[in-house]
Amino acid sequence: MTRRAWSAALSAALFSLFSLLTGCAVWMPLPQTAALQHQVPADLPRAVERSEVPFFPQTPYHCGPAALATVLGHAGLPADPQALAAAVFLPSRGGSLQIEMVAAARRQGALATRLPGELEALLREVAAGQAVVVLQNLGLAIAPVWHYAVLVGYDLDAAEVLLRSGVTERERLPLHTFERTWARAGRWAVVVLPPGQLPATATPQAALDAAIGFERTAPPAQAAMAYRSLLQRWPELPLAGIGLGNTLNAAGDVAGAAQAFEGVAQRHDSAVAWNNLARLRLALGQTDAARTAALRAVARAEHAEPAWLDAARATLALLVPASPAGPAEQAPALLKAPQAAR
Amino acid sequence: MNIIARSMALFTAACLATTGVAHSAQAVLISTEQAQAVQAVQGAGASDRTQLHAALDREDLVAALQERGVSVEQLRARVDALTDAEAAQLVAQIDAAPAGASIIGTLFTVFIVLLVTDILGFTKVFPFTRAVR
Repeated sequence: MTRRAWSAALSAALFSLFSLLTGCAVWMPLPQTAALQHQVPADLPRAVERSEVPFFPQTPYHCGPAALATVLGHAGLPADPQALAAAVFLPSRGGSLQIEMVAAARRQGALATRLPGELEALLREVAAGQAVVVLQNLGLAIAPVWHYAVLVGYDLDAAEVLLRSGVTERERLPLHTFERTWARAGRWAVVVLPPGQLPATATPQAALDAAIGFERTAPPAQAAMAYRSLLQRWPELPLAGIGLGNTLNAAGDVAGAAQAFEGVAQRHDSAVAWNNLARLRLALGQTDAARTAALRAVARAEHAEPAWLDAARATLALLVPASPAGPAEQAPALLKAPQAAR
Repeated sequence: MNIIARSMALFTAACLATTGVAHSAQAVLISTEQAQAVQAVQGAGASDRTQLHAALDREDLVAALQERGVSVEQLRARVDALTDAEAAQLVAQIDAAPAGASIIGTLFTVFIVLLVTDILGFTKVFPFTRAVR
């Protein structure tokens, strides 16, 4: 009897300790795991394993570089965990930060695209042939143990996922445990691909972020390839058209760049596109057409995009050096109008 | 040290700002990153402000990474690979953002708790545990 009372008391104490430490989140059901197990989408295979994904066992602290090398190798790009460690490891923190993981993939010639925070998106990517880098918090919210791993497979019937993780080449983790550790780290997952390929589940915003970051370090022709693939899937994405124009121009294809800006300008009446188009037409010696574009840039900026008013006016000033007084005189009044409205 | 770093950063920012002005007279296009930043902020004059901030953030970041043990030859390449927005975010969160490492630096009491939560399938800290469900 006393023994029973003791064990009951111990259980209660442990339970309240967990509740205290973990918060109530731990005890709540996991809607995504439950939904996936309850009803598998018709077009999602029930089990997939990408056994061809390479494995780089991590050295202490270096799970970030190991995970990156795994997905870069899978994408057919150079994958050297040692070199990657120099690019991402932050000694004071004893680990690697997410922003630098994305930037390091860029430096290796790949785009790291953030996936939507849904378990189904991760499984869909694996089914489509990708390996997905995930951040997990293997510990608790108050005692985090951050860890990067690579999702390479799943089995919905067995309710488990397969990971390249740390020093384990084929880690099998229950689906609900995986979702908990992944959700506890902010549902962060990226797919790393060479330019020209896009993850199936990426949002236009995430794909743009990846391409714009890639433009920073990549050879212009490669970055142009990335923007082309975005436009192929989302023709109505103005920033992708602007990116294509800028990268083509940087690659020396001024006529192609002008064409890209013209497309965005006509479709979206974008001040940036009109402005850049005017500059390129000027460089091509088409002064009249350049002036038309510059006037449209100023008009659009005055009307809806005041942030570009100065830039548009500067472009127009290059084209009408004889009479700078006309549009310039109105400048202060027009510039102040939107600020006063605030 | 901090004052030197700050004044260096200000100096660099001033240099960058003036080169920007000098270049805008020639065929310089509005960059994709600028276009995105302004679209995100949607405010008048935002491009100038974000540019100035970006220059400051980058210098702060170089100093911050160096202080935190990143080798000198890697500093520039690591900072240059970031967009302005990422650089600003990193400056703000360098000591707080999750740092994936998989090293268990927890106390013994937490060890016991984690052992049990591992077994219950809520966590997965230890390689030798197996979830009951």
